[in-house]
Amino acid sequence: MTTAKASAELVSRSRGSKAFRRLRENSPFLVMLFPAVVIVFLFNYLPIYGVLIAFHKDFVPGDSILNPVGGWVGLQNFKNFFEDVQFWPLMRNTFLLCIIGFVVGFPLPIIVSLMLNATRGRRTAKILQTIFNGPHFISLVVLIGMLNIFFGHYGLVNNIKESLGGERTQYFLQESAFRPMYILSSNWQDFGWSAIIYIAALSNVDPGQHEAAILDGASRFQRVIHVDLPAIMPMVSLMLIMSIGGLMGVGYEKAFLMQTDGNLGVSELISTYVYRKGILNDTNQSYATAIGLFNSIINVVLLIIANTTSKKFSNNSLW
Amino acid sequence: MATLTLKNIKKVYPNTERTTKKRKKKTDEPVKEKANLQITDEGVVAVQEFSLDIADREFIVLVGPSGCGKSTTLRMVAGLEEISDGELYIGDRLVNDVAPKDRDIAMVFQNYALYPHMSVYDNMAFSLKLQKVPKDEIRQKVEEAARILDITQYLDRKPKALSGGQRQRVAIGRAIVRSPQVLLMDEPLSNLDAKLRNQMRAEIIKLRQKINTTFIYVTHDQTEAMTLGDRIVIMKDGFIQQIGTPQEVFGHPNNLFVAGFIGTPQMNFFNDCQLTLEGGKYAVTVLGTSIPLTDEQQAKLKANNCKPGHVIVGVRPVHMRIDPNGFIGKIEVSEMMGSELHLHLSVGDSDIVAIIPTVGLNLSDYAIGKTIGFSFSPDLMHLFDPETTNNLI
Ligand SMILES: Nc1ncnc2c1ncn2[C@@H]1O[C@H](COP(=O)(O)OP(=O)(O)O)[C@@H](O)[C@H]1O
Ligand SMILES: [Mg+2]
Repeated sequence: MTTAKASAELVSRSRGSKAFRRLRENSPFLVMLFPAVVIVFLFNYLPIYGVLIAFHKDFVPGDSILNPVGGWVGLQNFKNFFEDVQFWPLMRNTFLLCIIGFVVGFPLPIIVSLMLNATRGRRTAKILQTIFNGPHFISLVVLIGMLNIFFGHYGLVNNIKESLGGERTQYFLQESAFRPMYILSSNWQDFGWSAIIYIAALSNVDPGQHEAAILDGASRFQRVIHVDLPAIMPMVSLMLIMSIGGLMGVGYEKAFLMQTDGNLGVSELISTYVYRKGILNDTNQSYATAIGLFNSIINVVLLIIANTTSKKFSNNSLW
Repeated sequence: MATLTLKNIKKVYPNTERTTKKRKKKTDEPVKEKANLQITDEGVVAVQEFSLDIADREFIVLVGPSGCGKSTTLRMVAGLEEISDGELYIGDRLVNDVAPKDRDIAMVFQNYALYPHMSVYDNMAFSLKLQKVPKDEIRQKVEEAARILDITQYLDRKPKALSGGQRQRVAIGRAIVRSPQVLLMDEPLSNLDAKLRNQMRAEIIKLRQKINTTFIYVTHDQTEAMTLGDRIVIMKDGFIQQIGTPQEVFGHPNNLFVAGFIGTPQMNFFNDCQLTLEGGKYAVTVLGTSIPLTDEQQAKLKANNCKPGHVIVGVRPVHMRIDPNGFIGKIEVSEMMGSELHLHLSVGDSDIVAIIPTVGLNLSDYAIGKTIGFSFSPDLMHLFDPETTNNLI
C-alpha cells in the first residue's frame, strides 16, 4: 500500500518537475519567441474582430464596430454578394487565374531545383541559381513597367511584330492576353526564389545514395526520379498544402495595376472588387468586408481539405 | 566471380582549394592526415604504384590507417573515381573507361546508403528493376538473398525501422541480389557496436561460403583484416606496404610499419641494438646482451650482405616468455585478461608488453612495481634497418 502510494507520488512529482524542467530548459527560446507571439497577436489576431463590420448595415470610418450606428443586418451583406451580378464573374476570374497560375507555377520550381541539382559543375549551378533569383527582387510596379515596355503598344514585342510585317496589338486591352501575361510574369519572377526551398532539401541528400544508385545502374535521369525526387517529396506536399490553402487568396495589387477597361472582364478579381468597393469609389465597407471574409472562408476550407487529404495519403501535413 | 588485375594504379586529386575544403568538412577525419601524402603540381597523390592480382573468388582486404587511400582505391575499382594512371582489368577486360554499371560490380557503403523511401524489398530489387529483369525472377532473387542474410521478415519495412545491423544486412543484400562479379565493401562494419561487429564479421565469413564472388574489403581494423582476408594489402600514405596472407604479414612483416600495424598489442621494438659480425657469424646486441642468430637468419643477412651497425629489434608480445635469467623489467601495469596476463614492462628506456599464459601462475609475483626476468627466442625476433625501416631477415 504505502509503496504504491509512494511510487504514485513519485511519478506525479517527477512528471510535474519534468514539465517544469522542460520549461526552464527552453526558457531562452521562449523569451526569444515572445516578441513574435505579441506581434502576431496584435496584428493578426486582434484585428479579426473587425470582421464584425461584415455584419453591419453600412459601416463608415469612425463608427463603433461593436455598436454600429446603422445597426446589424446579419448575413444580408453575404446574400447581397451572392445575388450580385458580379458574383459569378468574380468567382470565375479569381478561380481561373489562380488555378492556371498554380498548375504552371507549382511544378516549375521543383523541376528547376532538380535540374540545378543535377548540373555537373557546382559553380555553374550556383551562378544559374543566382541569376534565377534576381527577378524576385524587382518591385511589382517596376515589373508592370517592364511588361509595358515589352508588351505595350509601342513595346518591344509590337516593334518586332511590325518589323515582320504584322499589326500592332493592344495586349493590355485584350482579355485573352491578361492571364498569360499575369501568370508568366509571376512565374518568371519567382521560379528561382521558390526553388530555394527545394534546393536546400536536395543539398541534404546523402551523396552515397547517388553513388549506390550509380552502381545499381541508374542513369542520371533515373537518379533524379528515384533519389532526388523522393528526398524533396515531404517538402513538395507541404508546399502543395500551403499553396492550395492560398489558392483563392490572390492579392489585388498586380491585377489592379494591370487592369484596363479592355480586360476588366477577366481582370476583375474578388480582391480587386473588394478594394474598389471598400476603398476606391462607390464605397460600402460592410459589403466589401463581407466579400473579403467569404474569400477567406473559402481559403480556410481549401486548406483543411488539402491538409486532410495529404495526411491521409502521404503522412505529410501542416498540423 | 572474376579475377581482377590492378596495374600500377595511381590517383591524383586535383589541387583545388574548393574540393579539399569540402572534403574536410564532409569526412571530419583529422586534418593532418594529408601531411604524409605526396603532393605534386597536379594535386594530392592519394594512391600510387598500386599493383595487385586478385584471384577468382579471393577475399582481399585493404587495410591501413585513415587517409591512406583505401577508399580511393576501392572507389576507383567501382568506377566512382577516375583512375589517374595505370590499368584496371576485371577478368580480361580493361575497364578504366567503363561506366560503373557496366563493370558488374556491387558495393556496400559504410553508411549503408539505403534508399530511405523504399522498402527493404524495393531497395534490394532496385538494380534488377532497372535492368528490366522479369518480376517473378526479381522476387525469387530478392527472397533468396533475404534468406541468406536472414532478413526475410523485414522485407516490407522501410530502412528507418531497422537497427544498424539489419540495415547493414540490407545493404549487403542489395549488393548480392544481382550476383556481381566483384563485391566491394568500404568499412561495412565500422558503424556497428563492438558486439554486433563481431557477429557481422562472422556473418560475412559465412556469406563468403554461400556466394561466388570476388571480394575486396576495406577496413582500418587489423583484426577484421586478419580474420576475413585470404590476402591482406597493407597501405600507408598511398603506397602498398605489403601484400600477403594473414600468416605472412603477421609472421614476416616487410617493414616497421607493417610490424607495428598488424597484431595487438603492438610488436615491441628495442631501438638501440647493434648488429655485429664476428668470424662470419652475425649476432645482435639487445640491451647489452649479445644474442646469436639462427642459421636461417644468418643466411638471409648474408644473402642481403648486411653491414653490422645499428638495428631495431622487434618481438611480438606473445613471443615473450618469463625467464629469471633474461632481461630484467619493472612491471608498470599488469592487465589480467583471464587466460593471459598482459604485462607492461619498462626496460631501460623502452616500454614493452609481454603476454604470458596465466595457467599455473602465481599472480602475486606479477604485481605492479615488481621486477621480473624475461627473454625471447632468437628465431621469433625481427630485425629492421633504422634507415629504410625494412625487415632485414
Ligand atoms: N575528393 C577528394 N579530393 C581531394 N582529396 C581527397 C578526396 N578524397 C580523398 N582525398 C584524400 O585522399 C586521401 C585518401 O583518402 P581515402 O581513400 O578516403 O582514405 P581512407 O584510407 O581513409 O579510406 C586522404 O588524404 C583524403 O584526404
Ligand atoms: Mg575510407
